[in-house]
Amino acid sequence: MQLNTVDTKWVNQIFAPLRDPKLLENMFGYSTKEPWFFTEFTFLAVFGIFLVIYATLVQKNTWRKIYIISFSLFFYYKSSGPFLGLFALMIVSDYLFALAIENNQGIKKKILLWLSLSYSLSFLLYFKYANFFILNINSLFHTHFNDQNLFLPIGISFYTFQSISYLVDVYRNEIKATRNVSDYAFYMTFFPHLVAGPIVRAKDFLPQIFTPQIINAALYKESLFRILIGLLKKLFVADYIGKYVDIVHEAPANFSGAENLLAMYGYSFQIYFDFSGYSDIAIGIALILGYRLKENFENPYSSSNITVFWRKWHISLSSWLRDYIYIPLGGNRKGVFNTYLFLMITMLIGGFWHGADWRFIFWGFAHGLALAFHKAWSQFFPSKSNTRFSQIWGVILTFHFVAFCWIFFRAISFQSAFTSITQICTNFNWTDFGGFWISRSETGFMLIFAAFIAFLSPTLKDNFYRKIQTLPSFTWIILVLFVLQIIIQFKDDVVQPFIYFQF
Amino acid sequence: MNNSPKKPSRWLIVWAGLSILLPMMAIYIYSCSENAIKIGEIEIKQISGNQDVDLFIAEIDKTKQNPKKQLPKVILDSSGQFIDASLINDTTKHRILLIGDSEIGGLRYSINDYCRENGHKIVLAVEWYSATTFNFGRSDTIDKIIAKYKPSYIFMAFGLNELYARDLKARKIAANKLAEKLKGIPYAWIGPANWDEDFGINKVFESSAESGTYFMSKNLTLSRSKDGRHPDNKGYRAWMDSIATWVQTSAKYKLKMKVPKKRARPYLSPVIIINAAKYRGY
Repeated sequence: MQLNTVDTKWVNQIFAPLRDPKLLENMFGYSTKEPWFFTEFTFLAVFGIFLVIYATLVQKNTWRKIYIISFSLFFYYKSSGPFLGLFALMIVSDYLFALAIENNQGIKKKILLWLSLSYSLSFLLYFKYANFFILNINSLFHTHFNDQNLFLPIGISFYTFQSISYLVDVYRNEIKATRNVSDYAFYMTFFPHLVAGPIVRAKDFLPQIFTPQIINAALYKESLFRILIGLLKKLFVADYIGKYVDIVHEAPANFSGAENLLAMYGYSFQIYFDFSGYSDIAIGIALILGYRLKENFENPYSSSNITVFWRKWHISLSSWLRDYIYIPLGGNRKGVFNTYLFLMITMLIGGFWHGADWRFIFWGFAHGLALAFHKAWSQFFPSKSNTRFSQIWGVILTFHFVAFCWIFFRAISFQSAFTSITQICTNFNWTDFGGFWISRSETGFMLIFAAFIAFLSPTLKDNFYRKIQTLPSFTWIILVLFVLQIIIQFKDDVVQPFIYFQF
Repeated sequence: MNNSPKKPSRWLIVWAGLSILLPMMAIYIYSCSENAIKIGEIEIKQISGNQDVDLFIAEIDKTKQNPKKQLPKVILDSSGQFIDASLINDTTKHRILLIGDSEIGGLRYSINDYCRENGHKIVLAVEWYSATTFNFGRSDTIDKIIAKYKPSYIFMAFGLNELYARDLKARKIAANKLAEKLKGIPYAWIGPANWDEDFGINKVFESSAESGTYFMSKNLTLSRSKDGRHPDNKGYRAWMDSIATWVQTSAKYKLKMKVPKKRARPYLSPVIIINAAKYRGY
């Protein structure tokens, strides 16, 4: 009898959401405060259902396309609501501009390109940078323009860059403009890359619309593996370390130099595991649908110099900056001085892309300077031998430079960044590491674990993947359950949004 | 990791969907159970979803006491301020203890102005950076401080780090423990200065505090510092002005808090700064 009572209560609780009067609102409403992350368990459950239905449509080209576009638009609506209209407007106008660019020649073609680029960029400039310019104009000229209460549509920085690459590629005759607006919409809205990249190029992605990969057992395992690894990276490692980093950066002056230093390392690992974890999930989700997105990270912290680092870190952005800013400016074709100048301009834009704040511009400037310095160094002192020692020394130096620059990226202000650096330089005592270990040994373990994974050789990672892949398909459901429960055991109750969502 | 697909399989996509959906369902169904499974010492944790929070808040609302409201005997004093009639001739000089997270770090300057105007003395300010209900409720730090400083009135303000907390059941237990520690001492529990809507932490605090001792700050419009979260100097001053009006007119434990004639007076009382990162307290 007692058991029955418990059972009824349990069953009632299971079906409680169905009785919720706000059920429809929760399902179909949007909330800018709670956008759909890949790490949200509700998203994962809906995605599971989405896949089951997808299986019935996968062989019908048109229906498959319509189904994915609809889900992608819904995905975007859940986080940005009415800005979906703005996004749709941008898609239609890009589509028309691309056709017009393709059908014209000479100066008319050029004018159309500039017109379309200005139009695309105007949304980003307004929503992301208007307040930055207003505040700086006010402080420079003592004017009193009011700043705007603007909501930054999620993913705008990413899809604006995709739109630019498409228009420029059509202009350069590298790709044909799509004849069907739904093809372009598919490319732009494809939900795995929609809100935080990777920035996908039309020439890589458009051909896949018509011939997606066929799902077989290997692809199924690879995609699930990428999703699970991504979830672990984000929820298990990045969020855990993030708790400590947040506390230190709230008031860096209250922490010793050693603790600020550990927060610097912590944030370096947090941002890497956060963003590469997101990219892994995006790649995994796309793969299970039959589409392959390019890799966005390739063990960047193992880079032996800053140039190599930028070939391995946020690859879709760095290659975009190279192909659509650095090379069109002139690249290394216009003399030594101009090469360095173009490099600096490219990195400044890269920094500014991350956020409308002088801290990001400074971050871009520092990286530009380092890239220029490395270029000059390599020309004056070409390396004759590539010894193991020089490799290791290069990795240590590069990692510390990158980690140092992250302080400006993470701090809440310039002043806070300088306080953190001052604490590291002037208030450093080795014994403080002992204190940290006693009070926060779990964070210490997590930092060591993160460092181990970040610097682990790719060969070892591949070996691990191959071993996991030998598990038969039917056992993967247990693996998923196991990984999800591990995440629940360790994750904070408040899931942090992906760092790159804000960009 | 390159694959050369040979066998197309629609069932594999269905299986992929089920591989995600079925574990999610198992986790969800388990989370609806009141009994958690234990393997040795380790408890298999349950997820706390949105609906869980809503149900819990609804439970709190149901159990909320509705005491017969007595209209405060508030009068306008000679300086034009509202004050409870019983406080007009009150000359008690209180020993005031301030407890909280970073918010108390900002509030203490304005509280200091009020205290000096009204003859009260701040015996200690405990700024426990990044602390949450767990730090205050689970530790014996507050008990020890109360025993040592013997305050006659306590101001407590925290919660800014818990706006998005969903594990409200656990926080409610800690908040109840904290309220137990304060029994016998008049206090004012100041709710967090929300910069965003919370998931129910204000309701948890309000339900744990004695009736009439909780000041709901979430609806105040305060100017903020650069981080967009903490109030700035102007914001803290406006916040304290609202608290002072409430505390001398409507709070259960009233305190004379007339508006200071002089602001930004030097803060001379002792302060203990604790970092939750270094010292959790439990």
